[in-house]
Amino acid sequence: MDILSNLMMGLQVAGQPYNLLAAVVGLILGVIVGVLPGLGGANGVAILIPVTFVMPPVAAVILLSSIYWGSLYGGCICSILFNIPGEPWAVASTFDGYPMAKKGHAGKALSAAFFAHFVGALLGTILLTFFAPLLAAFALRFGPPEVFAVMLLTFSAFVGLVGKSPMKTVVSTALGFILAAVGIDIVSGELRLNFGLVPLMGGFNFIVAVIGLFGIGEIFLTVEEGLKLEGIKVRMSWKDITETLKAMVVYRKTLLLGAVVGAWMGFKPGGATPASFMAYGFAKAGASREDQEEFGKGHIAGIFAPEAAAHAAGTSAMIPMITLGIPGSPTAAVILGGLMIWGLQPGPMLFKDNPDFVWGLIASTWYGNILGLVIVLAFAPLFAAVLRAPFPILMPLLIFICAIGAYAVNNRMIDIWYMMIFGVIGWAFKKLDYNMAPMLLALVLGDMAESAMRQSLIMSQGSLLIFVQPPIALPLVIAAALIACWPWLAPAIRHWRGKEKPAKA
Amino acid sequence: MKTKTADIIVATILMCIGLLVLSDSLRLGSGWGMEGPRPGFFPFLMAVLVVGGCILIIRRAMTGKSSVKGEKRFVPPGGIRPVLTVFFPAMGMVIATEIVGLYLAAMIYLAAYIRGVGGYRWQTVLLISIPVPIIFYVVFDKMFLIPMPMGMFGAQILRF
Repeated sequence: MDILSNLMMGLQVAGQPYNLLAAVVGLILGVIVGVLPGLGGANGVAILIPVTFVMPPVAAVILLSSIYWGSLYGGCICSILFNIPGEPWAVASTFDGYPMAKKGHAGKALSAAFFAHFVGALLGTILLTFFAPLLAAFALRFGPPEVFAVMLLTFSAFVGLVGKSPMKTVVSTALGFILAAVGIDIVSGELRLNFGLVPLMGGFNFIVAVIGLFGIGEIFLTVEEGLKLEGIKVRMSWKDITETLKAMVVYRKTLLLGAVVGAWMGFKPGGATPASFMAYGFAKAGASREDQEEFGKGHIAGIFAPEAAAHAAGTSAMIPMITLGIPGSPTAAVILGGLMIWGLQPGPMLFKDNPDFVWGLIASTWYGNILGLVIVLAFAPLFAAVLRAPFPILMPLLIFICAIGAYAVNNRMIDIWYMMIFGVIGWAFKKLDYNMAPMLLALVLGDMAESAMRQSLIMSQGSLLIFVQPPIALPLVIAAALIACWPWLAPAIRHWRGKEKPAKA
Repeated sequence: MKTKTADIIVATILMCIGLLVLSDSLRLGSGWGMEGPRPGFFPFLMAVLVVGGCILIIRRAMTGKSSVKGEKRFVPPGGIRPVLTVFFPAMGMVIATEIVGLYLAAMIYLAAYIRGVGGYRWQTVLLISIPVPIIFYVVFDKMFLIPMPMGMFGAQILRF
């Protein structure tokens, strides 16, 4: 089979000592950024992108994606031992993870989380391996109108499915596109939106935005809430692992359901967080009555479901990134930005033009998630110790590292200032329910979306009908419209059904 | 300050940005040019979304329909001090970077913060604030050849 032989080639590429080393380094760094509050996968990747300029692209993408896998694994250490979700999709795992750790089963809670992650990763990786090439082959038929329709679907998913305020999501998305438009117009070469200011001519870089919005902003939020990091000490033993494996057999359905929900939701942008909550809800609803009582007090299935979902979502977020050039998560968006900087255009052509790169990346996902499991199982207590570093020492170090990352992208001093400004914006936006993930995505995809739109209009000589042409663009646009209107449709449907069947409220 | 007030202020600022963008995209031309949409076309659409969205956000905030709890204080009691003790030293580091470069600025910043805010002993302060920037200097400037900002005088001071 074609896919298998490609995968073998990829495994060889990713298995070279240099690339394996990149994977291990990336995983360790990733777990550390995942554990630290204020630094997440997106940030870790953003800060290290400049370092990867000196590496070959395959090793570079392996390093960056390994940081991603590592941060997914690391996030749960923070939420289980410290009751602080390092990432939004780790919230659901604090429900049962922390109580369980508090009861003295910290080792078991962690190993349950790690193995659940592994199951999720496995499903996501299988999908990535076997489904992505098919999707890429299909996407080869996409022209500018179809690309634009996919973008529309992406952003409407944010508006309709994620976040508390759809209107604010629209505004933050549009702001992201505006930030992307500042500087030189890619089509005509004209300067725009710089208002005569020289520093604005260079535009805004998404890496700086990530570091500011998600890094500095998160640090502000952390100190404002006055979080005290009081973690539970942990020791992992073989008994914890064997007990987890036994529990995995008992709750195999929960695990699998979590992974499937995660993989399905992760495909859409911003899906990891709802996926982890949904999986938790399903696990609870599907449990027996006695089991349901135990949820929230430290039930192992309450760890399995959300963790499997989160990692599956994180992994499958790479599928649309690599096949369509549209990332399914903020971290995937940053990796995509990295690809563009290295001169690789993500999308269906990548499979044709750079098979060693694509398959090296896919194969490294296999290696990365297996190695990741071994690393976190072996060194979890060590990683947890990072969090015990006193905050007055940790915090200035984080800001220093963020400043290095922001400057290194373009060697511009102004970017460090932008980083601080984005930090304040991120702090305010988070408190006011503005969703920042679509803003970041819009900043990364701005040029692509705009040129797709303008090229389509040039093709159609100004007719808007080109965006709804069958057979591909039309269903995508209809789906986008339905999803975007979901926050308004859902109550209407509920209302209508409520009238039909008043008994079932 | 109530969250409601902050909500309205932020939306107003964003709306002003939207209006600025709107004016510039009209200057560039937001319609159809010689061979296709002009450079201001896409920003114009986005600015319309921002301005329209912000008007709705402000209206929702005023009528108390916003998803954020309007009556709650925007910054919880006792929350502003820690934020400012992080913000001002960090800004200080950025300003110092303009003058002496990032590495020296970081040394001063780390030492000042760990000593001033953290209240650690001088041994601890020096043990972190001096080696850490040096390690980063060696890794970034020397190993990966990624230069960091040197400010006005940094290059004269760091001569190795």
